[in-house]
Amino acid sequence: MPAAATRGAVRPDLEEVFRRDYSRVVGVAARVLGSRDQAEDVAQEVFLSFGRSSVPAAEAPGWLSVAAAHTALNLIRSGRRRASREETVASAADTVTPDVADTVLTLEDRSRVRAALARLPRTQATALVLRHSGLSYAEVATALELSPGSVGTTVRRAEAALRKELNRHASPE
Amino acid sequence: MRHPNEGVLRRLIDEPAGVSDADRAHVAGCSVCLRSLDDARADAQLVGAALGGPGAVDPDAAWARFSAASAPSSTTAFRPARVPGRNRWGTAVRRPAVAALGAVVLLTGAGVAAANDWLPIFQTERVDPVEITATDLVQVPDLSAYGDLQITEEPDPEQVADAATARERTGLDVPEVAELPEGVTGDPAYQVAGVLGATFTFSADRAAQAAAAEGEVLPPPPAGIDGSTLRFEAGPGVAAMWSQPTGVPTLVVARVGAPKVLSSGVPFETVRDYLLSLPGLPDGLADQLRDLSPDAATLPLPVPAEMVTSSTADVDGSEATVLTSRDGLFAGVVWVEDGVMTGVAGTLSADELLTVARELG
Repeated sequence: MPAAATRGAVRPDLEEVFRRDYSRVVGVAARVLGSRDQAEDVAQEVFLSFGRSSVPAAEAPGWLSVAAAHTALNLIRSGRRRASREETVASAADTVTPDVADTVLTLEDRSRVRAALARLPRTQATALVLRHSGLSYAEVATALELSPGSVGTTVRRAEAALRKELNRHASPE
Repeated sequence: MRHPNEGVLRRLIDEPAGVSDADRAHVAGCSVCLRSLDDARADAQLVGAALGGPGAVDPDAAWARFSAASAPSSTTAFRPARVPGRNRWGTAVRRPAVAALGAVVLLTGAGVAAANDWLPIFQTERVDPVEITATDLVQVPDLSAYGDLQITEEPDPEQVADAATARERTGLDVPEVAELPEGVTGDPAYQVAGVLGATFTFSADRAAQAAAAEGEVLPPPPAGIDGSTLRFEAGPGVAAMWSQPTGVPTLVVARVGAPKVLSSGVPFETVRDYLLSLPGLPDGLADQLRDLSPDAATLPLPVPAEMVTSSTADVDGSEATVLTSRDGLFAGVVWVEDGVMTGVAGTLSADELLTVARELG
């Protein structure tokens, strides 16, 4: 039998990276999912994959953020059932911590944004979420292999599409 | 001067230092650009508010949970059947052999794939990612509360480079997929596990203690059962898993030696039925026992009707169980032939999977 070393080979810097980047990874997934609990589940999986990967530590923040965004987007894309429940139930205990936006945005708005997010081109949705999660334009560009100049355009288009979605439903008729 | 594009205006909101002096100067004096800038800012704020944020996150607690979830497979091949209360399916899926595949069938929807460990973090209320692991291919029921359970062979699960190595490790031919269904691309990752062997010697004293712990009295054991021994065997197992570049699993093909149990003295069925009659026997363990058969001919596969629909189909002369999730996102086909279980599962339709199953090499 091979030595134990071949089993479950987990990279040695995993804990360090985990503690350093966990909050950001949860932040990315939470912006997509609108649920911190679900976001933390996604983060756990993303770090599990990371632990088995050979991604250089320096590239970890970008890699983890993209993986979190994709995993979360896959969830909302495939989770029509859950999304519709979210809309009808509209307020589970674990929705995102309220902030000032609650005064103007209803939970319905939020779930509508999420549905729209799922329909955006993948790069747009990911760039948008990464940017709003605090990644710099340069970091978003590197993580998504975009030219630095096109990040702003990509994010802007995504925001315009989401705003349109919100306005469409906000209009009285 | 031409107006800077919308991307430049957008960046001006977040990172003004990243915008050239010329562009900044232009915008400051251009009413058209200032209006666009205002629009962009309003949209950014609205979307930022709609997306929200995670709120308070506790990385220490998260690390503790992560370590607990990922540690077992890398340290021990055998895991007792205890599962976190949060995972209702845990008891159902942490079962011998094809249980892992069953869980992939039942729970895979989307998410990170690739797989060395089983993450006990899935909630039943939604379709969630789950990972198949070689460890989970081979399990025996944890009967240590009712006697002496000894692991005699460890399966040493690991990921291997290719099908040839997998064959060498397990003696099992890795099922070859003749033609990958649409949407499944790339090379698979291979997981293998050897044979898991364990012996269990029933102890009336130990069982009485377990019963007492539940506040119950042990039913009188049938003659000859005290001290009788069962031998469990499961595995070897091999799985090939295809994933999207993002890590989402699309197709899993697995083959394992079906779990079987040998008995010394008292027939297995007698021991099993007695164990099943014991007070306080955990449900998951009871299910595991019920599914075990001496001839390794039955299919230890849980079918939670609220999540999947189940039907049968013919795969090269064997009766296969076809499971389809009620949301139609994934399906699986499982069958047993000559004591070897083969399963095909993925985010594909049952028809596509049946085609894969019937054309396996």
